[in-house]
Amino acid sequence: MGKPKANVDGKKCLACGGCISVCPQDAILMIGSYANIEKDKCNSCAICIRMCPVGAIAGEDN
Amino acid sequence: MKYDVVIVGSGPAGSVTARFAAESGVKVLIVERRKEVGVPVLCGEGISRKIDEWNVIEGTRWIASNMDGARIYSPDGTMVKLGAEMAGNETGYVIYRDIFDQELARQAIKAGVKIMMNTNATGLIKEKDRIKGVRVKQFDDEFEIEADIVVGADGVESKIGKWAGINTTLKPKDLETCAQYTLSNIECNDAYCDFYLGKEIAPGGYVWVFPKGKDVANVGIGILASLSESGMAKKLLDKFIENNSNLKSGEPIRFLAGSVPVSNPVETVRDNLLLVGDAARHVDPITGGGLTHCLEGGKIAGETIGDAVDRQQFDQETLSQYEIGWKEAFGRKIKRNYMVKELLLDFDDKTLNMLADSLKDVKFEEVSTLGLVKALVFKHPTLLMKLKPLMKISSEAKE
Repeated sequence: MGKPKANVDGKKCLACGGCISVCPQDAILMIGSYANIEKDKCNSCAICIRMCPVGAIAGEDN
Repeated sequence: MKYDVVIVGSGPAGSVTARFAAESGVKVLIVERRKEVGVPVLCGEGISRKIDEWNVIEGTRWIASNMDGARIYSPDGTMVKLGAEMAGNETGYVIYRDIFDQELARQAIKAGVKIMMNTNATGLIKEKDRIKGVRVKQFDDEFEIEADIVVGADGVESKIGKWAGINTTLKPKDLETCAQYTLSNIECNDAYCDFYLGKEIAPGGYVWVFPKGKDVANVGIGILASLSESGMAKKLLDKFIENNSNLKSGEPIRFLAGSVPVSNPVETVRDNLLLVGDAARHVDPITGGGLTHCLEGGKIAGETIGDAVDRQQFDQETLSQYEIGWKEAFGRKIKRNYMVKELLLDFDDKTLNMLADSLKDVKFEEVSTLGLVKALVFKHPTLLMKLKPLMKISSEAKE
């Protein structure tokens, strides 16, 4: 258990790539038509959650 | 598969680089992860009339409308009007960015460039630390494309630079997070690009309304990522439209999100590697405009690649001709405007209102810099302190 890790809702994501450019862990990849977060790399900083223009990223308890 | 150059990304920077490289006899391949060049349109779709002088694009199919200038609205609604010659930097034409990108790609193809669609770059091929090409995935097939030079034209989310050891990660204060509609059924009878400023409207950014016709416009918002909360860009844009009498009746025919780097440029050259466009952070940090830099920088990159292939030298020193070129063309401007951006972020709504009130009746075409300063300070003497650092930057820039 730890802080919630970021998780992308693929139905809401518009693939703008903003989260990828700010992720300090380089944990996000565009696969197909939406962003995917590698849980092992995510350090729960929540930068991507706050910056997402459409609210497609949320914290998820692991 | 072996090419002289493989370019990752078919946006304007990628296509223009490809075209000018191919015109000097270089064998070029572009790989593009999307299924259509230019789609989705992640852009406000304004561009300077400077493009006319560069001769990089044919015809007029890509032009939606001609603009007479720009209007900037301060938080209390005070309007400052700039004629095309002042505002022309970003607001000469409103364009169809999808058609624009496809025209640039077509011209690259005409020069001999090959394009592979639906193809994701997944990594660099390296041999004893030397870059030898890219690994790609096309549907379920994974394969390698060898090349003497790899160009990262892979946009704001660029991975190519990172894979080559260049730190391209943006701080949240150096990224604008954007949402954008194409709104139909509205009234926009004036040929002006409108910008709306204010902490409540768009913290650290602005709302834009760029008319593409009499009843249709590109309406969008950019806010600074460091001031954003989840979903804020879309929420604030919807609120703005709801509260604007001209836009309220609008119905969207497109909704998209995007991001714009507003940072200092990164290093753009390594052995066997170049970065161009948004991947190189070649964006004006004040306006968020980057198209003209893509075209100008892409041309320099293409010509540099032509020379390098001619001489069969692909080391960082040879390719540095590109970095020297773009720094000369627009690098200093980006650096200066980055400093100005940092200062402007400290301006509260009250200061922006005072500024607009001082500038609203100024005829920019007729007034000297000194006259401008006098006009500013005459009405609102307290502006002098706020503007001092700005004037310092502008006088240093002239030296």
